[in-house]
Amino acid sequence: MAKDLQLVGFRIGKETFGVPIGLVHEIVRVPEITAVPDVPDYIEGVINLRGKIISVIDLRKRFGETRIEATRKNRILVAEIDKKLVGLIVDAASEVIRLPQDEIEAPPEVFEENEVKYVTGVGKLNGRLVILIDLTKILQQGELRRLGDLAVAATA
Amino acid sequence: MSLFPEERQSELKELFFETAAELLQALNEEALSLEHRPGDAELVREVRRTVHTLKGDSAACGFEELSSLAHDLEDVLTPELARTNGRKLAEIVLAAADVFSSMLDAYRGEAPIPSAAPIREQIRQLVARPEPKNIVPYKLSGRFAWTEYEQIAIERAQNQGQNIYNIALAVDPTCPMKSAAMQLVKNVLCQLGDLLATFPDSSIPAEQIDVMEFAVASSQPQDVFTTKCRIPSIISDVLVETASFAQSVQQEPAIHVHEDPGDVLGIADPNAEASETSASGVSQSTSVKLRVDAERIDAVLNLVGELVIGKSMLMQNISEFDKRFQKDPLRTRFVDALAFQARVLNDLQKSVMKIRMVPVEQLFRRFPRIVRDVAKTCGKEVVLQLSGEETDLDKSILDTLAEPLSHLVRNSVDHGIETSEQRVAAGKTPQGRIRLNAFHQGNQIVIECSDDGAGIDRYKLVSKAVEKGIITRDEAERISDTEALHLIFHPGLSTADEVTAISGRGVGMDIVKSVIEQLKGTISIDSKPGAGTTFLLKVPLTLAIIKALMFRVSDRLYAIPLASVLEIARASASDVHRVDQHEVMQLRDQVLTLIRMGQLVNRGPLPVNKKIFVVVITVADRKFGLIVDRLVGEEELVIKALHDQLAATEFVSGASILGDGSVVLILNLPAIVARLGKAPALMEAVTA
Repeated sequence: MAKDLQLVGFRIGKETFGVPIGLVHEIVRVPEITAVPDVPDYIEGVINLRGKIISVIDLRKRFGETRIEATRKNRILVAEIDKKLVGLIVDAASEVIRLPQDEIEAPPEVFEENEVKYVTGVGKLNGRLVILIDLTKILQQGELRRLGDLAVAATA
Repeated sequence: MSLFPEERQSELKELFFETAAELLQALNEEALSLEHRPGDAELVREVRRTVHTLKGDSAACGFEELSSLAHDLEDVLTPELARTNGRKLAEIVLAAADVFSSMLDAYRGEAPIPSAAPIREQIRQLVARPEPKNIVPYKLSGRFAWTEYEQIAIERAQNQGQNIYNIALAVDPTCPMKSAAMQLVKNVLCQLGDLLATFPDSSIPAEQIDVMEFAVASSQPQDVFTTKCRIPSIISDVLVETASFAQSVQQEPAIHVHEDPGDVLGIADPNAEASETSASGVSQSTSVKLRVDAERIDAVLNLVGELVIGKSMLMQNISEFDKRFQKDPLRTRFVDALAFQARVLNDLQKSVMKIRMVPVEQLFRRFPRIVRDVAKTCGKEVVLQLSGEETDLDKSILDTLAEPLSHLVRNSVDHGIETSEQRVAAGKTPQGRIRLNAFHQGNQIVIECSDDGAGIDRYKLVSKAVEKGIITRDEAERISDTEALHLIFHPGLSTADEVTAISGRGVGMDIVKSVIEQLKGTISIDSKPGAGTTFLLKVPLTLAIIKALMFRVSDRLYAIPLASVLEIARASASDVHRVDQHEVMQLRDQVLTLIRMGQLVNRGPLPVNKKIFVVVITVADRKFGLIVDRLVGEEELVIKALHDQLAATEFVSGASILGDGSVVLILNLPAIVARLGKAPALMEAVTA
């Protein structure tokens, strides 16, 4: 039997996403963020993480979410991307998901040639869809396709 | 090939590369001195010692090409050849130094080893050249640097009231059996008195001996030695002097040549001593030196930075505590403890900084060679004067400065200094003069590079700029002198009529500027037609901690280096005028271009306040006024780099953590001025 995949699951809007647990250093509440001028909109700024300064990007803005609510459930996922620590703001993050390998399907073929292909797979967990994403792709230039469409395409 | 395990081997190689770089530097300096004093036998010996060390070290690392070339080079480094072909020899040593250097690069990068054939050919020719028949005995000078043991013996004899003579004998180069000659001389001296000290000792092969030195305690008069020692066809010259050991006793006994062995880096003039220091002095020096990886020092410095943040956190909490429990007896104890801790921390910070500091001399020492080479290529006569070499500077800044400074120096030689004929025609000395000077000024170090050449042709520069479309004809008419000179830093602009191998392509000066800006420094030019040009580079002493002025714009907090702040002025909205889409303000007799920092926060229309704060800053010799909402104060900030972060922008040069844990951005003023204060270039001229 294939090994289970351990993921940190987080929510943006209605969708659930997963990234390999090994990449996530910690999950913190959203502290005061120092805005940096002259950077792309989705880069929120920098925070002080126990004496280290790390950049924070709003993953919701990155995914083109229009309804962004600041709630007490918001979290920053501190992940290591390209050997750098980066904070990712998400709507909520709490669970560790165990996903059997055979429950993961290849990403749907919905990406156009010039789009960032950031989805590595789609997993099914108790009837829920978990979108597995490649964090290094998130940081690349270019638009990220709205996610709702993805989920629809995957279930179709 | 390897005697050591893999890891040890690579460690050894790393060490070799480090020392080899020093040896090459020494070799360059020695060769330059040799060029000036071609016949100096002692100098040649020094060069040979350096080459010898290089040979041994490289052989130990298995770099055979290098060690074999060094071996060949050693063959020509004889006092005889120096006497007959001194200049040629210096030339060869310099060329060889270049070959060594490219070989080292090749070894390091595991690239193919460059060919040494041309230089070998030169060496071969020099050796093959028949030696002139009548050898002129060179001027003999004794060093009389005795070992500690020998000195004790000499001192003892002196205390017993005996006359001590130092005797130097030049061995006749034609003498066939030098070891016998030595023995013969020894016999003579033993008859005349007590032989106390001998140089060289038996470890040196007799064939290589050309000077012998002795110390003798004797009751005989001085001239007896002179006559007795002059043995035909064995000894060609004799020097006898009465020894006075008063000062030589204080000398470091074990080291032969240089006078101040404690100072490993101290070479005021590019003469002989330096080479000896790096070749052998380091190992013999009495003060202990450690080679430490710069990363380790940085790690300590980082931790100190964290402590400084910790300190301001404590400070903040204490003042909070103060307000809440004013009567609490613990208060004063806290304050005392904190003051103590702050003092120690301050000292710690200074000590760590000091570790990173190195004298500017390390930067300057490469320039004699560069100036010589460039001057030679251009066919000019140039003298380089160095001063302020002892000024300390952070190692990383020093390394970064090397490239821009060498651009400036090359430019000065190539463009600044005129040819000898032109100089004489202009009533100047035929030799051009370039001066490098360094000194501290507040929290900055100033490096001055000046020449007494033709100066920058302001009008040519401006017309070139117009030609290239960098400025419009209109702008050109109104441009101020300072701005005109600063055009030189524009990429693609050069006043040189023709492109030479050294300069003239217009690249270089813009690199100079961008490197200086990257170091958060400034560069200014002063040039007088016919009298020369001076470049002033000002850079902070260290990049780790700066004094900053903090201010708020809307609700955001920003910091700028205090060093760029000239003054702070208050103004009202009615003082601000618009000229050419730029806001300006009159400050005393000057017109100031204003930049609204609010643009950093949002790009929409900015709120107009009745009263405004204007922070007057200077960037590249020009003044600007930054309009800010509120001033917060001064603070020492520990800079953390942002450039490798996602949230990197040219507007921000770094960030720092304040006592309350919040993050403040340190603004990069040159970029802000360049983008937000766009094209105010001609403001001063317009309104003046």
